[in-house]
Amino acid sequence: MPSARPARRAAALAVVPAALSLLLTACGPGVGGPATSAEGPVEGDITFQTWNLRAEFKDYFETLIDEFESRHPDVRVEWADQPAENYADKLSADAGSGSLPDVINVSPDLAYPLADAGVIMNMDAERATAKYRPEYTKEAWDGYEMPGLGGTYAFPWYLNTGPLFYNKALLEDAGLDPEKPPRDYDALFRYAERIAERSEGRIPTLAATPTIENFGRYGVRLMNEDATEFTYNEPAGVELLTRYKKLYEQGGLDAQALTNTPEKAGQKFLKQRVAMNPGSALDLANFRNNAPSLYENLGITKAPNNTGRPNMYLMGLAVSDQSEHKPAAIAFAHFVTNKRNQEKFGHQTAVFPSTRGSLDKDYWSEDDGTAAGRVRVNSAQSLDGAVNYQPVVMNDEMETILRNEIAKALQGDKSPKQALDDAVAESNKLLRKH
Amino acid sequence: MRVRTHRTVSPWLFLLPGLAITLAFNLYPFLSTAYKAFTDARTLTAGSWVGLENFRQLLSDELFWVALRNSLLYVALVVPFTVLLPLLLALLVEQRIPGVAFFRSAFYTPVVASVVVVGLIWSWMLDDRGLVNSLLVTLGADRVNFLGDQWLLLFSAMALTVWKGLGYYMIIYLAALGNVPRELHEAAAVDGAGPVRRFVSVTVPAVRSTMVLVGALSSVAAFKVFSEVYLLAGPDGGPAGADTTLVMLVQRVGTGLGGRVGYASAISLVIFAIALALMLLVLRADRKEDAP
Repeated sequence: MPSARPARRAAALAVVPAALSLLLTACGPGVGGPATSAEGPVEGDITFQTWNLRAEFKDYFETLIDEFESRHPDVRVEWADQPAENYADKLSADAGSGSLPDVINVSPDLAYPLADAGVIMNMDAERATAKYRPEYTKEAWDGYEMPGLGGTYAFPWYLNTGPLFYNKALLEDAGLDPEKPPRDYDALFRYAERIAERSEGRIPTLAATPTIENFGRYGVRLMNEDATEFTYNEPAGVELLTRYKKLYEQGGLDAQALTNTPEKAGQKFLKQRVAMNPGSALDLANFRNNAPSLYENLGITKAPNNTGRPNMYLMGLAVSDQSEHKPAAIAFAHFVTNKRNQEKFGHQTAVFPSTRGSLDKDYWSEDDGTAAGRVRVNSAQSLDGAVNYQPVVMNDEMETILRNEIAKALQGDKSPKQALDDAVAESNKLLRKH
Repeated sequence: MRVRTHRTVSPWLFLLPGLAITLAFNLYPFLSTAYKAFTDARTLTAGSWVGLENFRQLLSDELFWVALRNSLLYVALVVPFTVLLPLLLALLVEQRIPGVAFFRSAFYTPVVASVVVVGLIWSWMLDDRGLVNSLLVTLGADRVNFLGDQWLLLFSAMALTVWKGLGYYMIIYLAALGNVPRELHEAAAVDGAGPVRRFVSVTVPAVRSTMVLVGALSSVAAFKVFSEVYLLAGPDGGPAGADTTLVMLVQRVGTGLGGRVGYASAISLVIFAIALALMLLVLRADRKEDAP
């Protein structure tokens, strides 16, 4: 009988390259072209990239583009919208291959690495863009100022500030006044302790561990002045984490908080399994459609704050430094973010304009009695003096380091101080290597 | 002359499409990764040569050792199940009994289902108020924190990998079992061998090369596990990243606008080296058993 060994070996060997080839991937940085002048005639074909806006605002943007093109007949705007997920990866692929769109929708933390790599324009450095500075609020313009890079790197666009949603029925069950939600962290921890105690650990108040934004709102100094070192391991930071640890042990923080994503935390609030959750006005439709009984009991308040300065989420439009039609790209980015168009966009959805004087208008200052109106006015008021707590130099890896060290502290593997010291040391190491 | 040219050129023309794809999508990325492992490249900067610095850093990276342990554990615990269970399933559905086609299809369904969809379904089932915990409570047991405990999370992800792969490997075994001569079973039965003895003495030797193939394929698949752990344990890889696997670590440090491409490439090279070693180990074991 002939041996089947050679055939078997050949078959098995054939598996090796096939399987191993699945293991290695690569990506590489590219080289952008030379920067072009920001001054000159407004003409040429430009690309405009938004972040997850087409599904809801297709008509708004198409009308906006039509209007811009009719004012500037020598310009054609090609609009591309990217899904919410993996936007940073899409930008890095574009920047790496030297094919960034001319006008790009970016948040400050996404703008920083692009600015650092020199692929987006410094708005303060060019007369053509710096002249628009007075049109925007100081906080918004400063929000895109990149530490160590000497300038602002995007036109501020829309703003948001997340309210805290709470379940009035669950507060009532715990003997708490649903009309007096917690305003600061002392009250929040007191409420959470009470709810856990009265529900015998069945109802946690929060479903997620603290983020860097929580540390900011608690009053912790997050970074040094020149943003070269993290400092959130200072005593106030350790105090916040110690309180969260106690909360976790008491059942005031969801048992799965260490692995919950913001989406999972939102689902738990939707299912009325946690008493409070931060969110945005966009969540209201979700509550109304998918959890009518929650919607009836929905309480809306400002996120707890010890500093008096709420958090502000910022979006902006950056202009590629390699754009071949920079004057057209600048004109379009300014057109989308000018006062009239920002206010129009603010009427489309629950976002707020970053242009000076816009929030004084009735639409954002008068409560019309609806839930949406309440959130809108509440949020608009919060924006007065709001700051973006998220340090722009803090990248995804540094955020993961913080989350992991917090988890170690909550599990009791490390003391809160040790955990924060380690997170800061590791993040500072990455910052220095940068 | 023309015929000779034709004979020289033709094979290369046939080879060209496959060769081009292999060079562009396998060899170039491999060489590029191997080079970058020795640089401090980032997503947006090419970086400069740093020698063995990335590998030195790996040795002191606590998360790397956690990820290495998890990936090796995955291989050690998943592979025995993916080698043996599909064989037993194949033996069951090989029987000519009414309705068996339904079971063959049912066992294969998870293979064609999207891993994201089944991952989400499993995470709902294993949630602290999910199906599994509801059943446990109904039976009078305490709730189990499947998605909050480091080890339960890892074992749950392993169970998902095994369950999802069963049908695929079952089909491979079914093909192999079809080639086992029926006379061998009949002769063994005549000699008084029962079903267990026939399985050990006839079936296993006859499909041993297929078992090696399944072992090799599932070892590499288990070693490069990503989706199952990512979906159940979340993007951080479980509490404090304790369930992170090596491929998750590559994704975490190497992607995004601030991605450390050089460091991620160094981890990729380590994955490559270990996967190669695993494969050679399996093949060597096969060769030893073949030796007279």
